[in-house]
Amino acid sequence: MPDELNGSSRGRRALGWAALMLLPVAALAWVAVPVFKVQPFAPQTPDALSLSYTLRGWSTVAAVAALIAALALAVRLWRGTRRWWRKALLVLPLLPLLFITWFTRQNHFEWMFSPLRQGGFAAAGEADFVAPEEMVMAVKVGDDAVAFPVRQVAYHHIAEATVGGRPVVATY
Amino acid sequence: MWESEVEGRRLNFRLAGINNQNFIMQDEQTGSWWQQVSGEAILGPLKGKRLASVFHDELTFDVWKREQPSGRVLRPDDSRPWKKFSENWEEKTARMPVVTPSDEGEPFPPRTTVVGLSLNGAAKAYPLSAVERQSPVVDNVGGVPVLIVMGDDGKSVRAFEATVGGERAEFFARPGSKPLALTDAKTGSVWDFTGRAVEGPLAGQELKKVPLLKDYWFDWKTYNPRTQVYRIGDQ
Repeated sequence: MPDELNGSSRGRRALGWAALMLLPVAALAWVAVPVFKVQPFAPQTPDALSLSYTLRGWSTVAAVAALIAALALAVRLWRGTRRWWRKALLVLPLLPLLFITWFTRQNHFEWMFSPLRQGGFAAAGEADFVAPEEMVMAVKVGDDAVAFPVRQVAYHHIAEATVGGRPVVATY
Repeated sequence: MWESEVEGRRLNFRLAGINNQNFIMQDEQTGSWWQQVSGEAILGPLKGKRLASVFHDELTFDVWKREQPSGRVLRPDDSRPWKKFSENWEEKTARMPVVTPSDEGEPFPPRTTVVGLSLNGAAKAYPLSAVERQSPVVDNVGGVPVLIVMGDDGKSVRAFEATVGGERAEFFARPGSKPLALTDAKTGSVWDFTGRAVEGPLAGQELKKVPLLKDYWFDWKTYNPRTQVYRIGDQ
């Protein structure tokens, strides 16, 4: 085999290794940017929100694509890799990518607060779980009067209900 | 409180993030992002659409139960996260840092609770402490005479149009009255906290309710940048 061909093959392999190592970094940036841009301890700008919306919308597609690309690279590079620790190194980038793919299907805002889709209700006279001085959000549609204790709405942030036939969402 | 139907389609909402300390909801049907405080879609296919607001009061349970004895109350789940949250959320909220920009010469500290009114494109913020001290407050917002009243529980607040027989009227609280009784200076009719005349020439009539938002000053100001501010003595 001529020398230059050998050299270019080695160059391609090096490129493959570099791509394999960069894929988890790129995927991590993809999911981390929205997490840091849309967090409670810093102010937001419209541009940052818009970027986060786009990244979040495509995050699963991007993560799966990165995972498939990394898998394909690892399979290609596997042949011709002899040392066991280099083989281990080929598999290693797949682990963060699997984790990132899982994370894109998570809603980390709902790890702490869970929106309420269909809550239960108690008659006003029997609601011993609310103190008299506690605040409620009160809504009345037709004859249907419903109180949403603020503490509960603050916990769920979003509480959906039907009041007097009207679909409403209490938010706090 | 929002109606969760937009153009005939019922939307279900999830939490999607936070925008300057006000949360963002995402609807499952289109994936659009909605700002909680304004009910406006800010990103996604429904961008620019608004949820219809549903009139609601913020009252103490005590006052609400007196007014609606046959109403129903949302029941808490008894999950562990809820119990943990429920123990001390007021204190925790008050300790949260404020990250929205704050100017020199702000009229109040960021976490001052204000009663916000928004009428005919004009917005005005009333510190809760001022309402507490001066209730009933009669004022003007966007050219509309308004009446802001604190209930006899010292916590519930309602706002009405301060119009009696088509004209602006002053209102006075009967000192120490429980249930709260207001008298208008025009006809001498007596009004209760729901805005209904219970005695006098206008008995049976109702004042028009005005939506209000109890909010932190920093949040109100973020979403109502040109808000006016009420100071004690403005009356």
